Amino acid sequence: MKTLTLGIPSKGRLMEATAELFARAGHAVERNGTDRGYRGTLQGWPGIEVAFLSASEIASQLRAGKIDLGVTGEDVLRENIAPQDSGIRIVQRLGFGPANVVVAVPCCWLDVAAMADLDEVAEQFYRNHGYRLRVATKYRNLTRRFFAEKGVSGYRIVESAGATEGAPAAGSAELIVDITTTGATLSANQLKILDDGLILESCAVLACRTAAAQGAAPLAEKLRTALSA
Amino acid sequence: MPGRSSQEREALARQNAAIMAVFERAGFDHIAPDIIQPADIFLERSGEDIRARTFVFNDPDGNELCLRPDLTVPACRYHLSHAGDPARETRYCYLGPAFRFPDELLSPQEFHQAGVEWFGGTDPVGAEARVIKLTISALEAAGLSRLQVMLGDLGLFNALLADMPMPDRWRRRLRHQFWRPAAFRALLEHFAKPAQAKRTSISENVDAVAGNDAMAATAARLAQLAIPRVTDRSIGEIAERLVEKQADRSEQPLPAAMIETIEAYLAMEGVLADIPAKLAGLSGTEKFAGARAWFERRIAALEDQGLNPRRMQFNANFGRDLEYYTGLVFQVEVEARNAPLVVAGGGRYDDLLRDLGAPSRIPAVGCAIHAERVKAVLP
Repeated sequence: MKTLTLGIPSKGRLMEATAELFARAGHAVERNGTDRGYRGTLQGWPGIEVAFLSASEIASQLRAGKIDLGVTGEDVLRENIAPQDSGIRIVQRLGFGPANVVVAVPCCWLDVAAMADLDEVAEQFYRNHGYRLRVATKYRNLTRRFFAEKGVSGYRIVESAGATEGAPAAGSAELIVDITTTGATLSANQLKILDDGLILESCAVLACRTAAAQGAAPLAEKLRTALSA
Repeated sequence: MPGRSSQEREALARQNAAIMAVFERAGFDHIAPDIIQPADIFLERSGEDIRARTFVFNDPDGNELCLRPDLTVPACRYHLSHAGDPARETRYCYLGPAFRFPDELLSPQEFHQAGVEWFGGTDPVGAEARVIKLTISALEAAGLSRLQVMLGDLGLFNALLADMPMPDRWRRRLRHQFWRPAAFRALLEHFAKPAQAKRTSISENVDAVAGNDAMAATAARLAQLAIPRVTDRSIGEIAERLVEKQADRSEQPLPAAMIETIEAYLAMEGVLADIPAKLAGLSGTEKFAGARAWFERRIAALEDQGLNPRRMQFNANFGRDLEYYTGLVFQVEVEARNAPLVVAGGGRYDDLLRDLGAPSRIPAVGCAIHAERVKAVLP
């Protein structure tokens, strides 16, 4: 059988939790010393080769077909893979790394509770200020899809690489779409989540290329057992 | 398949030449608007949904540019920079490439549009009928037959709303959401029972401005909650919306009969020639009666062009995904192997030139033919 390549986060909490889960499932992740640590194996699973990659690379390399399976955040996956792309599927939610992708606006917008308010504000803002509401985010595609679904138009996205929550106070955007776990960072920045502003309840997932689904099934099963133990 | 062989190129060029000859013979000035356009004009006008489908890039100075996603805005910009008096009647035609992502994350697509734009026409109904006729003639010159024409009319919908007694801001919101059927439906339901609206996270803010000087109450509430003000949105803008929300609570609900009328109108479809009789059955009053008379003139104008309204279709919902149109919308379909294929579309867009910088509202009507689609369905 053909060897499958599994992308695993190369650093951070996601890497630790992934390594811990695989060890619990009886197939510890091992780095190859010879490959400067960018390649590895799964103990007792010769059919799978491991590639250590960043979370966003895992999504794009899945799409490009350079890896067959990957562990990454659902947020990153849904941002990078179009919903109509049937070539990639999530085979198992892994539970760790929980975080919500949300729409948040300044607390001082006392008149805004929901996405429908946002649409009206977008119109009012353009009329009075001559430019569109700016949404700071690294989730360009998730934002577009969600806003379109909620019937909000007349905004524009400004790309934000980091510290998105600071954009409204800094004057570089009016609102944000960002990931949050407890909401504390948002409140500290005087931002509030809209009542219907939850875009995605994300966590780490095992995803695979549809073509590799058969090979991925036994691994997903092992992880499922380890998760429920 | 990338690129075109010499035979494919020649066949497309021959077809497009036949289309353009029809437009030029009709007296439309054949112009070549720029392919590279400033991005913000497209983006600020239409927002993020168009941006997602537009090929945007930066020049060395950091300015955002784009490959034009259609030729209407470039033709308008051409007009505004060349015409001494932009309000004077001018008729253009064009042929050239346009660029779009068919969908997010998929590869960009280039295609050719051949079209006409008619600015400042003094006989709106006549100009619209003429543009439809020209579109059909051009498609027939390219070799197509058995064309199906479908019409919609945003003017009728606006006239219907204008007749109904309700607060202006409700009308404005309904018009704004016309493009988004789900949001439109939610709005209608809200207006049907404004007093029963659920409490939300901002209901207490609405309570706070009730019966008070709204500006002062809004400022006091921000101070009370110790919330700093950020962004360019002013206290006045926030207060204005709180006041509207407060007013909504005590507004008379939209009567069920009105909602039924709106829904009956939106469900209206069928043979164009039968539509006036169906419109007469709706309980509109003065302005809507005016719009009905207008619609009858439209049918007469189409007949004057030699078109048969018995062989055209009308659908009140048609145009709900085409945001910049203001009145007539139309599309031309042709039978293809599996399903009908839309090969051309157009309509009236009276706000666009002013939005792009013209000193006043200038009537505008146009159409665009999708050249590659025509080629695809030609025998």
